[in-house]
Amino acid sequence: MLIRILKSSFLKRPKPVLLVLLSIVMGSAVATAFLGISGELSHKMALELRSYGANIVLEPAAGDAGALKSDDLPKIKTIFWKHNIVGFAPYLFGQVDFSSAAGRQRGVLAGTWFGRPLQVPGEPDSIQGVKVTAPWWELDGRWPETPDEAVIGAGLAKRLKLAPGSDIVATAAGKERRFRIVGVASTGGFEEEQLFAPLAEVQALLNKPGQLSRVLVSALTVPMDDFGRKDPSRMTREEYEKWYCTAYVTSVAKGVEEVMSGSRAKPIWQIASAEGALLKKLDSLMLLLTGIALFSAACAVSSSLMAAMAKRSPEIALMKTMGADRLQIAAIFLGETLVISVIGGLLGYLAGDRLAVVISRTVFDSTVTSPLWLFPTAIGAALVVALAGSAAPLKRALAIEPVRVLKG
Amino acid sequence: MAAIIETSGLTRSYGDICALKPLDLCVPEGEWLTVMGHSGSGKSTLLNLLGGLDRPSGGSIHVRGTDLATLSEDGLARFRRDCVGIIFQQHHLIPYLTALENVMMSQYFHSVPDEAEARHALERVGLGHRLKNRPGELSGGEQQRVCIARAIINSPRLLLGDEPTGNLDHKSTTMVMELLRELRDEERFSIVMVTHNQEVAAWGDRTIHMDDGCLVREERTKSC
Repeated sequence: MLIRILKSSFLKRPKPVLLVLLSIVMGSAVATAFLGISGELSHKMALELRSYGANIVLEPAAGDAGALKSDDLPKIKTIFWKHNIVGFAPYLFGQVDFSSAAGRQRGVLAGTWFGRPLQVPGEPDSIQGVKVTAPWWELDGRWPETPDEAVIGAGLAKRLKLAPGSDIVATAAGKERRFRIVGVASTGGFEEEQLFAPLAEVQALLNKPGQLSRVLVSALTVPMDDFGRKDPSRMTREEYEKWYCTAYVTSVAKGVEEVMSGSRAKPIWQIASAEGALLKKLDSLMLLLTGIALFSAACAVSSSLMAAMAKRSPEIALMKTMGADRLQIAAIFLGETLVISVIGGLLGYLAGDRLAVVISRTVFDSTVTSPLWLFPTAIGAALVVALAGSAAPLKRALAIEPVRVLKG
Repeated sequence: MAAIIETSGLTRSYGDICALKPLDLCVPEGEWLTVMGHSGSGKSTLLNLLGGLDRPSGGSIHVRGTDLATLSEDGLARFRRDCVGIIFQQHHLIPYLTALENVMMSQYFHSVPDEAEARHALERVGLGHRLKNRPGELSGGEQQRVCIARAIINSPRLLLGDEPTGNLDHKSTTMVMELLRELRDEERFSIVMVTHNQEVAAWGDRTIHMDDGCLVREERTKSC
């Protein structure tokens, strides 16, 4: 009988039912779209934020006396979080004498990879080097392509009166190496006082074959939380596994440290913290917008149901006259609401999925696939909207006094 | 004969207005009592109290031994579905349900809907051919007969009518009253009916006249 009542109620009162359905569909669709793109948005934002520079630095555990090994570098792309490694750049620093047409000066020579193809068995090919980890460098000229080409920092170039096309000679321990300047780098940092040359050439010049001073790693990470800040050495086995399997900057750093022998990995906190805070705020914003969308939908549902309830008060009064108790009245109206919300949730999911695709294509120029968990979430959101929206109208329905409504 | 209704000093006030002054009333099982009086005399107030749709301000009201004043909201709902059938002047049928579904709805609130039983009730009131029609497709007399079928479907011991023929023409009125008498004779339920119509009042066993919330006169219209 309840089904008959619900069926007849829907078929014979299409306008108010459609109004409520529309509110639920809109709320559910917006929630689905927001939640659907939030993962994509966070990922894209995290990638954009990688242009801030590396967020992990690897140095020899033994300090200045030690060195990292070039041969270990490919292993960085084999760690548990290998897919989160956006790029890395090795460095070997040395004090050398620079001489140019303008004179001689002592300074820092840095050997590095600029944009070196890296093949790791079983992993997709990638490009590693400064071009990847420091895309924010402003370069006047181009990146080096041959062993005798170099990039010079803007400060050093100014002092030595060098420009793209000039030559510079680096001398260390009686050895000399001539480089052709092909780019002048403005970074706003200490790099402006250095000369950057291919790693192998610098290793040979400094007589440090296969050695590195530092590796900068750029990795996609999740914002740090209280758990992520715990000291891993004091964690239980389960806690350690959970920490290790979460892409905190500390756990990614740990993974890199494990494959680079003799290394000590440290997060660059000013970058990691800023990224974490920004991503957290972005997630909060998406959740807030989703909440606002659902709240607005619930208000619309409540207002539609309230208007419908006013029209249906004689019907409710009559049911009470026939002996319907509060539970039976509630069953009829909540039954209607539940049916509408399941249909609304389904339609909202489909509409929200399409909306997410459109937003993703328009804003990020990429396609997004709604995760499966979003379907029950959309239905759940529709139910929450419907139940929250029907609370006040139901309360009013239960308070109806038949004597007043059926008078006359 | 045992009393189905017994009131003692029953009153109902709305603020300063006393709609029903202390009333002592006894209605034996099976009696058809008519309540007459002009508008505002307290007859509908009395009917609402007897049907458990309103609560008294003072005194006691027992229907089939149950003190209605002591029942909770849900207790009054149970009382209405178990003991009372109510017929209104305005019919008050649910517009989007068919005649059959309107009757079955009363069964649904009482216990379990039984389509065959509901169909039989409508056949008894002469609407076997109008089962699938909605209220808008029925005449006033037919709608009132659906209301009667709905009121008797759960075999109540007390049928309350609030001017049930007030909106009907003479022919329909006679048809409805004959139907009520026939059903009452078969089922032996009691009827308390409010009316302005002297002719309608004549169908009952006893008539009480009310004025300004008081019972002012009582007459037996025919022998029980």
